[in-house]
Amino acid sequence: MSVRRGNGPGLRRSMFAAPYGLWMLIFTMAPIFIIVFYAFTIGGKPTLENFKLFLEPEFVGILTFSLWLAFLCTVICLVFGYPTALFLASRDLKRSAMMAVLFVIPMWMNFLLRTYAWMSLLEDTGLINRFLTFIGVGRKKLMYTENAVLFGLVYNFLPFMIFPIYSVLKRSDLHLEEAAQDLGANGWQVFLKVTLPLSLPGVVSGVSMVFMPAVTTFVIPRLLGGGSFMMFGDLIENQFLTTGDWNFGSALSLIMMALILISLGFLNNANPEGEEGALW
Amino acid sequence: MVMKRLRWVYIALVLVFLYAPIVVLIAYSFNASETRAVWGGLSLRWYAELFRDKGIMDALYVTVSVALLATMAATVLGTLAAIGIHSMRSGMRAVFMNVTNLPMLTPDIVTGVSLMALFIFAKLPRGYGTMLLAHITFDTPYVIFSVLPRLKRMNKHLYEAALDLGATPSRALVRVILPEISPGMVTGALLAFTMSLDDFVISYFTSVRTANLSVLIYSMTRRKVPPTINALSAIMFVTVLSLLLLVNRRDARSDKSKLKGA
Amino acid sequence: MVEDFHLIELENVTKVFDGVNALSRINLYIRRREFVTLLGPSGCGKSTTLRLIGGFETPTEGRVLFEGADITNVPPYRRRVNTVFQKYALFPHLNVFDNIAFGLKIAKVSRADIKRRVGAMLELVGLVGYEKRSADALSGGQQQRVAIARALVNEPEVLLLDEPLGALDLRLRKDMQLELKNMQQRLGITFLYVTHDQEEALTMSDTIVVMRDGCIQQIGTPKSIYDEPKNAFVADFIGESNILDATMIKDERVLFCEREFACVDRGFGEMNPVDVVLRPEDIQVVAPDQGQLAGVVRSALFKGVHYEMIIDVGCALLKVHSTVMQPEGAQVGVSVVPFNIHIMRKYAAPCGGAA
Repeated sequence: MSVRRGNGPGLRRSMFAAPYGLWMLIFTMAPIFIIVFYAFTIGGKPTLENFKLFLEPEFVGILTFSLWLAFLCTVICLVFGYPTALFLASRDLKRSAMMAVLFVIPMWMNFLLRTYAWMSLLEDTGLINRFLTFIGVGRKKLMYTENAVLFGLVYNFLPFMIFPIYSVLKRSDLHLEEAAQDLGANGWQVFLKVTLPLSLPGVVSGVSMVFMPAVTTFVIPRLLGGGSFMMFGDLIENQFLTTGDWNFGSALSLIMMALILISLGFLNNANPEGEEGALW
Repeated sequence: MVMKRLRWVYIALVLVFLYAPIVVLIAYSFNASETRAVWGGLSLRWYAELFRDKGIMDALYVTVSVALLATMAATVLGTLAAIGIHSMRSGMRAVFMNVTNLPMLTPDIVTGVSLMALFIFAKLPRGYGTMLLAHITFDTPYVIFSVLPRLKRMNKHLYEAALDLGATPSRALVRVILPEISPGMVTGALLAFTMSLDDFVISYFTSVRTANLSVLIYSMTRRKVPPTINALSAIMFVTVLSLLLLVNRRDARSDKSKLKGA
Repeated sequence: MVEDFHLIELENVTKVFDGVNALSRINLYIRRREFVTLLGPSGCGKSTTLRLIGGFETPTEGRVLFEGADITNVPPYRRRVNTVFQKYALFPHLNVFDNIAFGLKIAKVSRADIKRRVGAMLELVGLVGYEKRSADALSGGQQQRVAIARALVNEPEVLLLDEPLGALDLRLRKDMQLELKNMQQRLGITFLYVTHDQEEALTMSDTIVVMRDGCIQQIGTPKSIYDEPKNAFVADFIGESNILDATMIKDERVLFCEREFACVDRGFGEMNPVDVVLRPEDIQVVAPDQGQLAGVVRSALFKGVHYEMIIDVGCALLKVHSTVMQPEGAQVGVSVVPFNIHIMRKYAAPCGGAA
């Protein structure tokens, strides 16, 4: 027999969410409303100028550069992260949970500190260059390059690729793989026909967890790129804190949000499980 | 067998990549020399100086106190919200879930600038208070998302059983529902706490007069970074490590009790 | 044993969920010390009825009376009834002792009394020595016992049981049926029991209430309901039966399978369409030329005590129980004595002429 919620106590208990509802109204909805207002006005008058301004090659260029770097970062994370997750989740690996924790720990360290540490490794007089000089290769310019930014992105977001894939693989039903073997599939076939398709939801959420923050970051390019590579996040920050053009900054913020919501929708459609909590 | 070796080598390489900067920071924290270019021998000098550095100590106080206060507020707000959302009809629930998801999907920078816009619009001076408000805002969804699954997993008759045995609704809440969801509350609180500790972007936009550690470090990396920061990183690393071990022990325990029930 | 005093009464109770009637104008009373079973398929409203009495739902219309007083809007924690929930709903964070003591602690019973009463309950349900166990660590049958003890320790006037044996395996279920019945008789407590298992209902109850689509179909003792089902639904739900279209020619004469039969029922009018119920064990298998109807055995299965045969008599396939097996394909005759031909009105709306 199904038991339906009573109308009496149910209604009253849902009021427990009222303070939170009010809070979100003030601190989530109102700010978004303000941003929307600024994005569609200049000096209080409605206009689409802010969005038109974005169409200038300079700004579109920044967006494509951000997307391109984020894309590269995602691909690299996937290429290195997938095997890591696969190995971590393998059944014959003892203490696999312990191993997994080893991969989380760095993530919990303040990312500014970690990025700063890379700066000290990559700088002209850093450990790596000193090593290169020592073995006779000579000093290379590592910092303040596009590759340094990419490197920093990969470093910061790699765990976000490993984890979702790992947890999906870990959860998957061992019997499925055994069934495939039973039906005559060899190691590779089991991987291609069973393990890989089963892990796709993990890949999808891994990709979104890497790509989104990679597009929007402004600290990593600022630190490792030395400010010479403007990414989309920098642009927004500039509008609000340097230029003071809130209208354009708001339009850029909305564009970024739209971008993310669209790609999320796209990814969720690609996700065969369509899980609600797939994001994390 | 060869495959297995290769696997280990691969995992080890990834770990080296992830840990290299942390090891470097910790190593430098014991370097007596002022510059990174020279190794001046082992010393605890920077640890001593760290505690004398008023700027860093102030930022540390801001970071920890904001994280603690925000976590407490978020835990209360989020737990109540989760209980409320759980007992809602599906339409209302969908609205709340979407609003809760929103800050988690919004890029930090957009959350940051939009909250900044709100505070400026409301003529609130951006400082400790506004940073705290912002932290509560982005912490609360973590609590909700940790508590809700516990509520869903809970036998829906437990609450009724308590009423049946004579408990008033508020006593049933305290004696039956809270003990049931407390693991979720703790997980959510720990998650919120670490998010607060780690936050840079949102704090950066919502506070100008008060800096937390992340904001301070950011401003330092743009000028000259004093070696005391290395000592600070080492301390933070050890702190985070112990926090994480704590959480992991909890999870392991609750996993075990789950197994027993099955 | 059963007293005539009406302990609980439902008066014209209707319950609407999201525009759908879960219960339609239910009238029901429960006497003190009675073992009443609400029986019906899922969705028939039996659990809703129980929840109304427990106080977890309030009726859309109508009243719930307890010892003659209106308790329609009294919350569950002020009702002198206790519930054994479907999946037990034991508090996972408490051990066995604390689970059972929960209600007593809420009622601020003294510690010594709690100890004594919980001890007595543990003895009653045979779980002495399990006090410190976590509720999660018990088997299904043991959890069931804790749930019963937790409810009974509060000395309720009525114990409500919502499909309490549903999660147990067959063997355990049979044992628990007997135990519950024993407990009820020993303690002299009124039991209101919800189940969809007709056998369970027949074994344990003083009174069975058959429900369907939110309406009461029939109320009676197990024997009266089995022997004289009011309509085809009840006949079909309680025990196995063959239900045939028939025409009542006049009192004590009924026509089915193109043959006139003598029966004992009266008052169905003349030339009225009716249903005829034949219980499988009431049909006799005889030599082909000696039966009232002739037929062919289509299948025969050994069921332990008897054989179950499907006999094709042309107008219908009859299910027949007999201790003598006829092989598949055998030509046989079947006959029924007039007393065993049950006539029922054609089944109309679910809430038709019920209760």
